[in-house]
Amino acid sequence: MATLTHPDSLKSDGAPPPFFPEPPTGGGGDDSDRNRPERGNSRSAAFIGIVVMMCASVMTFSALLSAMVVRRGLNGTDWHHLTLPSILWWNTGILILSSVAIDVARRLLRRGRRQEFNYWWTAGTLMGTWFLIGQIVAWKQLAEHGFTLIGNQHSAFFYVLTWAHAAHVVGALVGVFYVEYRALRFRLGPAGRTWVDVSALFWHFLDVLWLFLMAIFVFWA
Amino acid sequence: MALRNRIFSTDHRTIARQYFFLSLIAVIFGVVLSILMRFHLVYPAAQVKWFEWLWPVKASGGVMTPELYLSLMTLHGTIMVFFVLTLAPLNAFGNLVLPQQLGATQMAFPRLNMLSFWTTVVSFLLLIASFTCQDGGPLSGWTAYPPLSALGAIAGPGQGLGQTLWFFSIGVFCIAATLTSINFIATVIELRDPAMRMMQMPLPCWNWFVTAILSLLSFPVLLAAGILILLDRLAGTGFFLPSGGGSPLLWQHLFWFFGHPEVYIAILPGMGIVSHIVSVFSRRPIFGYRAMVYSTIAIAVLGLLVWGHHMFISGLSPYSAIAFSVLTMAIGAPSAVKTLNWIATLWGSRPELNTAMLFCLGFVSIFVTGGLSGLFLGQPQIDAYFHDTYFVVAHFHMIMGIAALFGIFAATFYWFPLMFGRKLNERLGKLHFYLTFILAYGTFVPMHFAGFAGNPRRYADFTTFEFLAPVLPLQKGITHSAFTLAAVQVIFLANLFWSMRRGEVIVWTGDTETWQRSHTPTR
Repeated sequence: MATLTHPDSLKSDGAPPPFFPEPPTGGGGDDSDRNRPERGNSRSAAFIGIVVMMCASVMTFSALLSAMVVRRGLNGTDWHHLTLPSILWWNTGILILSSVAIDVARRLLRRGRRQEFNYWWTAGTLMGTWFLIGQIVAWKQLAEHGFTLIGNQHSAFFYVLTWAHAAHVVGALVGVFYVEYRALRFRLGPAGRTWVDVSALFWHFLDVLWLFLMAIFVFWA
Repeated sequence: MALRNRIFSTDHRTIARQYFFLSLIAVIFGVVLSILMRFHLVYPAAQVKWFEWLWPVKASGGVMTPELYLSLMTLHGTIMVFFVLTLAPLNAFGNLVLPQQLGATQMAFPRLNMLSFWTTVVSFLLLIASFTCQDGGPLSGWTAYPPLSALGAIAGPGQGLGQTLWFFSIGVFCIAATLTSINFIATVIELRDPAMRMMQMPLPCWNWFVTAILSLLSFPVLLAAGILILLDRLAGTGFFLPSGGGSPLLWQHLFWFFGHPEVYIAILPGMGIVSHIVSVFSRRPIFGYRAMVYSTIAIAVLGLLVWGHHMFISGLSPYSAIAFSVLTMAIGAPSAVKTLNWIATLWGSRPELNTAMLFCLGFVSIFVTGGLSGLFLGQPQIDAYFHDTYFVVAHFHMIMGIAALFGIFAATFYWFPLMFGRKLNERLGKLHFYLTFILAYGTFVPMHFAGFAGNPRRYADFTTFEFLAPVLPLQKGITHSAFTLAAVQVIFLANLFWSMRRGEVIVWTGDTETWQRSHTPTR
């Protein structure tokens, strides 16, 4: 009977099986989720969701990268090596620093130091925005040197991969800015702290993804 | 406010019904397209007044142009694969039943759930819009092979705006499907009753879970491919164009890396539903629960590794063809395990043969018939002959179309009370089942023979080929059978809409897992 009957319902002591899992505790100092315990926005669900989301992103980037691998192996005639603009190195540094700032902020919040959290998170947010602006500058510089989307396959893949990464960064920045908005008004309750942790995790993921892409551009392509 | 809550609902049962009706609209649309196609195939010169009224340019004089036929075919394939076979078994019934079987009250992310539904609607509208373009609807088939699909309007009629909108529609669908899979996976992992271990989950939950993982791994790849091909079309890059140094084969690899798992996305939920209903109405637990779970996982893993068998005649290296062929054959093993377990569950039982159960038995029958022709197509040498013939059409319609549809029908009859609080009419249901079962075989089995005779698929008109003259009566028979099959579905629709309002108010007994926990369905 393992498939059809709930194990607890077989018990003869008459205790009904727990129909619903423990309602997620979203409240307590938080204004948004207090009276809605069954929204499913529990903390661990959010973590699972973001990790699964990262798997989807990894699949998209794997598809693009494998297309690049295949494409490079086809013929070498129109695969011109791309000279990366130096601003990309600055961008990389800023992205790493923003990751560090966001993680420092996250740890500070855990110790209840909200004021310092606000400083560090603001720094991380600004650096993340700076990274995005830096990417736009990098695309401009590449275009000025004649590396456009069409004509050169290497630059075509560079643009597609960096655009895809930037699109993810924009999505992550929405989350980061939302936390910033809540944090500056000191309204980060427990549910808001889930936002902090989840967006920080996704931000680190984008950081690692960018390092991986840079490694590919520098050492392989 | 009430209307807004009903339309933009975050309730999993409401969203399930929304998905159900979306795929119902889609399937009606898809069936009408296929009827038009079948008509044109055997009566290509017939002049039909209202064809001209519908398509003044593409069917001037009431005779369909080949381009119109091809765009009907493209839309039929796309609608059926994406909006019927993906949405109905996974999104509609998954949303309806998964939380209840897990002991949860909601999906993990209700608002994300609503977002995925409305994203899917946008995708559907884009697809319909692509069909109504001035220069003709897209005509590259649901596989949209480059180079023609990557060139833009220069490639001919229907390759302009229509094809672009088609790619946008598919891209949006990929996003929606990814969001849905995130929700399903998180729900299974997180909202499962604390007392329920993974190996105690009902089989439909297992199959939805594995299907969601397959969606998660395959749809993002199609999205990436779609972005690349849209850049080819709109920005002038050459990812898939030999003239730009790219490779059309690259698209086939990326597309089929999605396309083959998509087959299992369509059929795995049906297998779970069938396992569940067979066990309920055989009045005994399923035979070999663990084997069922492991075979589902095995099918999914193998399904991710066999995309190359769609490309045997695309110039694939014979060595890799052998690898893909062996892996393809290996899928026969877990599939056989499933069939054996269904039969073993039934063996010696006194099954209650209601409509839901009959559709399950029909599913098993058609799954075996359709699966066996896959063993032919899985061999590169035989596939070389069969690949562009009606044999392939017969194969995938049996295994992916009709079998999955029988799973949907079984689920509809079984879980209808959960959706509308009433039961579907059994007498009409049985009539519908027997006619559908016979006519489905009558439509698709003769197609195998047309394939043996070398009847090419995707041709708008083969009446002029001398070597196909003997096949023409067979094709006419198929068309007539298909017409009747479509007409019979009116019984189902009538049953559905009648029972929604006036059906018997009763629920099944025997399957405590779902019903004890169910709330009173809202109407």
